[in-house]
Amino acid sequence: MLKEIEDIKAKYPDTRAALLPALYIAQKEFGWLSLDAMKAVANALNLPESDVRGTASFYSMFRLKPAGRNLIQLCTNISCMILGAERLRDLLKDRYGLLPGGTTEDGRFSLVIMECIGACGTAPAMLVNTDLYENLTEHNIAEILGKYK
Amino acid sequence: MITLTINGKKVVVPVGATILEAALQNGIEIPNLCYDKRLSPYGACRLCVVEVEGQKKLLAACSTPVTEGMEVKTETPKLFKARQTVLELLLVHHPLDCPVCDKAGECKLQDLAFKYCSTKSRFKGEKKHELVDTGSPIVERNSNRCILCGKCVRVCGELQGVGAINLLGRGFASKISPAFEETLDCEFCGQCIDACPVGALGSKPYKYSSRAWFLEAHDNICPYCGVGCTVTYDIRDGKIIRAKGIEGKGINEGNLCVKGRFGFDFIYSKTRLKTPLIKEGDGFKSASWEEALNHIAKKLKAIKDANGADAIGAIGSPRCTVEDNFMLRKFMKDVIGSDNIDSSARFGYAKIQRAVEMSFGLESLPVDFNSPLGKEAILIIESDITSTHPVWGLNFLKAQRKGSFLITADTRETKLTRHSSQWLRLKPGTGTALLNGIIKIAFDEGLYDKEKASRISGLSFLSDGVKDYTSKKVSDITGISEDIFINTAKRFLKAGSRLISLTIGTSEDTKGLNTALAAANLLLLIGEGPASLQMPAEYCNTFGMWHQGLRQGRSGRDIISMLYGEDTVKALYIMGENPAVTFPDASTVDKALRGLDFLVVQDIMLTETAKLADVVLPAASWAEKDGTFICAEGIEQKVQKISQTEGEPVPDWQILRNLSRAMGFEVGAKDISALQDEINEIKTAERTAETIFNPVEYIPGEVPDADYPLTMITGNLMQHSGALSVMSRSLSHVLADAFLQISNADAEKYNVRDEGFVKVASRRGSVMVKARISDEVPQGSVFLPVHFPHAKINTLTHLSLNGEAPLSAVKIEAVK
Ligand code: SF4
Ligand code: SF4
Ligand code: SF4
Ligand code: FES
Ligand code: FES
Repeated sequence: MLKEIEDIKAKYPDTRAALLPALYIAQKEFGWLSLDAMKAVANALNLPESDVRGTASFYSMFRLKPAGRNLIQLCTNISCMILGAERLRDLLKDRYGLLPGGTTEDGRFSLVIMECIGACGTAPAMLVNTDLYENLTEHNIAEILGKYK
Repeated sequence: MITLTINGKKVVVPVGATILEAALQNGIEIPNLCYDKRLSPYGACRLCVVEVEGQKKLLAACSTPVTEGMEVKTETPKLFKARQTVLELLLVHHPLDCPVCDKAGECKLQDLAFKYCSTKSRFKGEKKHELVDTGSPIVERNSNRCILCGKCVRVCGELQGVGAINLLGRGFASKISPAFEETLDCEFCGQCIDACPVGALGSKPYKYSSRAWFLEAHDNICPYCGVGCTVTYDIRDGKIIRAKGIEGKGINEGNLCVKGRFGFDFIYSKTRLKTPLIKEGDGFKSASWEEALNHIAKKLKAIKDANGADAIGAIGSPRCTVEDNFMLRKFMKDVIGSDNIDSSARFGYAKIQRAVEMSFGLESLPVDFNSPLGKEAILIIESDITSTHPVWGLNFLKAQRKGSFLITADTRETKLTRHSSQWLRLKPGTGTALLNGIIKIAFDEGLYDKEKASRISGLSFLSDGVKDYTSKKVSDITGISEDIFINTAKRFLKAGSRLISLTIGTSEDTKGLNTALAAANLLLLIGEGPASLQMPAEYCNTFGMWHQGLRQGRSGRDIISMLYGEDTVKALYIMGENPAVTFPDASTVDKALRGLDFLVVQDIMLTETAKLADVVLPAASWAEKDGTFICAEGIEQKVQKISQTEGEPVPDWQILRNLSRAMGFEVGAKDISALQDEINEIKTAERTAETIFNPVEYIPGEVPDADYPLTMITGNLMQHSGALSVMSRSLSHVLADAFLQISNADAEKYNVRDEGFVKVASRRGSVMVKARISDEVPQGSVFLPVHFPHAKINTLTHLSLNGEAPLSAVKIEAVK
């Protein structure tokens, strides 16, 4: 991880600019941003720890709690909401016991509610890890999630 | 320049100014909550909105640059409404606990709400219920009152270069906090407290001690370091209860460090002396002034009669005023008839002075507060300027931020090394070798000013003198890799404008006269003048004391001969100094002090030295008398009596005048202005400046060996600089005792636990301190601050005959 951060650092004019990509690298490595992970990033970039934590806690794509193996990011903004995103959220709760911000008992899924992910035309939409799924319904969502173990 | 109109008035301002700056420069107020002159524009609060002709939207004045012909309106009904709404929304979440908030009466939110808001609020929203962080020794954090202007975050990160706090989270949940919501543990400069427009950040020592409107503000000069900051003290019932910096005021322009802001309380310490004390058996008895002065007069006369005036010596103080030191010198010369006068500056500033005289032929070389700004390359030699001269240090950080290439050569990791463009982690005390190596590269590569250098005498001696300092050898001595050394040296030599800065302090053992001379050699060689060598005087009046002549006179003896020689003096008069703790080689000093026939100590407290005295005289502190300090910039600044301290302490100069009278001499000085007139009459002769190269060798200190395997570095801390700071309650809450800083690797090797006790021994003695494990020091070196009286770190240090205090080798042993 530190090697990767070093490489990224070289691409930016100053280390602060490399903070977001570095946090991504750390998150990819550990699955979430633990205290130690953030401290390591601060150290690698020679930035105050408070800067790193401040940035990590601002963006919702960073996970500050341990997460499941797969991350579902479900949009519930206007377009998605109108087309049933809230029903999908309830479904995740009923069928998988998955609450926003939570993780399933078997550690298979974590759920994060997202602000608009730019797929309004094909709403409702979600991301599973880095894969985008659009036009979700109560039927196809189960099928999609079945692919992730 | 750009011309624009604000509220119909034509104004001209520099290109790049913002609308808000243009307005402020022309006396037009625009309300604001997140603007700070010292910081880059932020645009968070939207209170500074203005109308600009031709623009539909309202613009934030603090972050909109002016353009030619712009027409700005700052007060319109539309703007009133906009500001009112912003404030109304802020108040929705605000706890409105003004009755129990220290900020009430001087709160920007309160003032603006008073001006703009109606008594009705149209919205109902949640309030925050965060716990208040009261755990930190100095700064209290109440997130519930925070309006998220971000000023504290930016002051801490951008200006102080610390970054201890930040905005965490987003939306309603966002709050100001240290990285992991732990209790704040930082420099405690308190700059964020001054910056906060509301009562979200507060000073713990001041908490609940007064309502703002009962305070009376008085400006005075800080009693600590040589920067000479102007501090605004808030007085209540004759006592200082708070210190703050006011934007734009003084050399420091309103910035203060932890010592200046919180360290004033030493004058209210319970252990202040109230009456003169005369030794009786093992203890002291209280005496009247008359009794004490007559006793001293009789004793000094007897010693003078028996042994001659030369048996009597005096030590002055860089923390006392020009007037005090002048009077001490006058007392010694006119009343005693002795030239044996000196001060602790012998171990620090005297070396700077010597180098300035030898290299530049100058009488004095004050520093320039703004010298770092705009320099292309800056080299700092083994000096932690942000600790010794904190507010001046900010300008080095600023220079780096604005593009200077900042090279810091230091063994320890410090705030400066963290902000450096290049940190050279050299072995302790090897700065001279580094400088000599750079000089050699300049010669070898022809990177010097041949024309100017050839006009300075000693050029060939210099090139001869450095010929052994090959990059290989420098790399071996300093431990810096050859590549990095060569590249950095060339970068410095090729820069368009260059500056070298270093401190030489009483308690620092990594530099000496040679370091300063080597730096001067380098600068002269590359065509730079004296102003490019910045070596600040140490304390608030070191500069003034030195230039007032408080130093060994022509036929007199210096401190080294008075205290360290075979033949020490018989009687000593010490004013405001604590040699038993702060001078090197404490056991020798202790022996010398105990061996005296007669010792008088004049101080504000019963110091370790005063405990050895025959007579102790209580003196006034800097806030209890009128007088003058001359700071490191060579600027004369008046200090004033602003505190009505119990017992009415007497100024040092007055004590000495009274003593002169008791000895039957009329020395004038009927009051402070008569004394000042007398001082002003003395003019120092100007010298013709002559520059000379003074080649120097790198001389190692004690070399670590099998018995004493570690090199000890001594120095200052940000929160403590010696005698005064350790008497301050607030500063002692931050840090109360000495410690040993040791690397992880060495800690493991010697079985040292963090916070565990260790015995540190040198060839001269040993002390016990707590350990702090930190990789701010590298393996092989340990760091110890010397000021704390209990630890007596100076038991370990030594002094060589030329007055230098070379590095000491030590060994450590963990105490079970
Ligand atoms: S006291 Fe100084 S170092 Fe500490 S948080 Fe405030 S500004 Fe930062
Ligand atoms: S604590 Fe004060 S300075 Fe800091 S963001 Fe809040 S209101 Fe602004
Ligand atoms: S920088 Fe020096 S003069 Fe200024 S507040 Fe700090 S100790 Fe006082
Ligand atoms: S609202 Fe869901 S993707 Fe835009
Ligand atoms: S002062 Fe301009 S937005 Fe706050």
